[in-house]
Amino acid sequence: MEANAIKTAQAGTLESMDCLVVVSESDAGRAIEISGGAAVRFKASMEKEINDTLDALGAVEPIRISVQDNGALGVVLGARVEAAYRRYARLAP
Amino acid sequence: MRRTMLYLPGNNPNMLLRGHLFEPDGLVIDLEDAVSASEKDSARVLAREVLRRGEFGRCEVTVRINGLDTDFWRDDVAAVVSCGVSGVRAPKVESPRTVLDLDEELSEAEEKFGVKRGSTKIFCLLESARGVWKAYDIATASPRVTAILPGGEDLAADLRTGRSKEGTELEWIRRMLIVAARAAGVDALDTVFPHVSDDEGLRRETAFVKQLGFDGKSVIHPNQIPIIHGIYAPTEHEIETAQRIVEAAAAAAARGLGAVSLDGRMIDAPVIRRAEYTLARAGLPTEKR
Repeated sequence: MEANAIKTAQAGTLESMDCLVVVSESDAGRAIEISGGAAVRFKASMEKEINDTLDALGAVEPIRISVQDNGALGVVLGARVEAAYRRYARLAP
Repeated sequence: MRRTMLYLPGNNPNMLLRGHLFEPDGLVIDLEDAVSASEKDSARVLAREVLRRGEFGRCEVTVRINGLDTDFWRDDVAAVVSCGVSGVRAPKVESPRTVLDLDEELSEAEEKFGVKRGSTKIFCLLESARGVWKAYDIATASPRVTAILPGGEDLAADLRTGRSKEGTELEWIRRMLIVAARAAGVDALDTVFPHVSDDEGLRRETAFVKQLGFDGKSVIHPNQIPIIHGIYAPTEHEIETAQRIVEAAAAAAARGLGAVSLDGRMIDAPVIRRAEYTLARAGLPTEKR
């Protein structure tokens, strides 16, 4: 069981103006999934926010980022991605 | 002015981004009691990013950090000082030593992040009998201390009583803290009124603490803000008198006089400061046009 356990971490909520971000292992590269009301209209800017945040944190390993959005502004999305990734990678505060 | 300082739960984007729209005088981003232990890291990141965004209208922005007896407070300080926050609200302060430890940590963080040394103020929450007893020593422990505040629930528990609507258990403490604050030259800010639907009770308590000399109250619900501002708003007579005092003082200064008489009363520096404060509370210019 241990050998097959998938490493995941999450941050955020599904409350209004927030989003729930889940970071998990990926087979290759960085995969981003976004769902929620604004996912279609703001997909490009949300992906940029996510990538910029992860790059700033030095995230190079293959990971999957899943975002369930409930109207989060970019500043909130970035904060939730950072918190989730810090938990995933066990980075110091 | 610090008539109202609205607590915002540190892990709630909705409130963090919208709190200033209710136009309190100040905001208190709460990383302590409003955030569970498992969410401290996430709330700290969120608070830091919202602080960096910096859209808070005209509000003074402070952060209630976790207590100095926890593993969280140093990370809280680093996160918020890097954003140039106005001040930190320290919970459960019981001795001048606590203030000095926080002062030292703030100085290190200010240097590290290129923030002007000494610019981050300290608001001391006195939430135990021991803390209240040492109020003056705490308020004078560092030039960073800008206000002392009585606790509510924690203080009542430490006194082995509970909160009453009349505030009997806090009456003497409020009187003591206002004297300590004025002697130390810092603000006295009252605790929250927890009954959010009892407007009349809030009016009564606010009128009482205003008369004691408190500069304002902490607030836990936006609906409490206009009620408190209403109590603190000066009357027309007070405004008219204040304007005449400021004008008389300005005229005296223009003639090179240090003091002046108005309606048979000596107008000196403390009276002028009081008049200017009255005009500020009324939202009027404090200088003669």
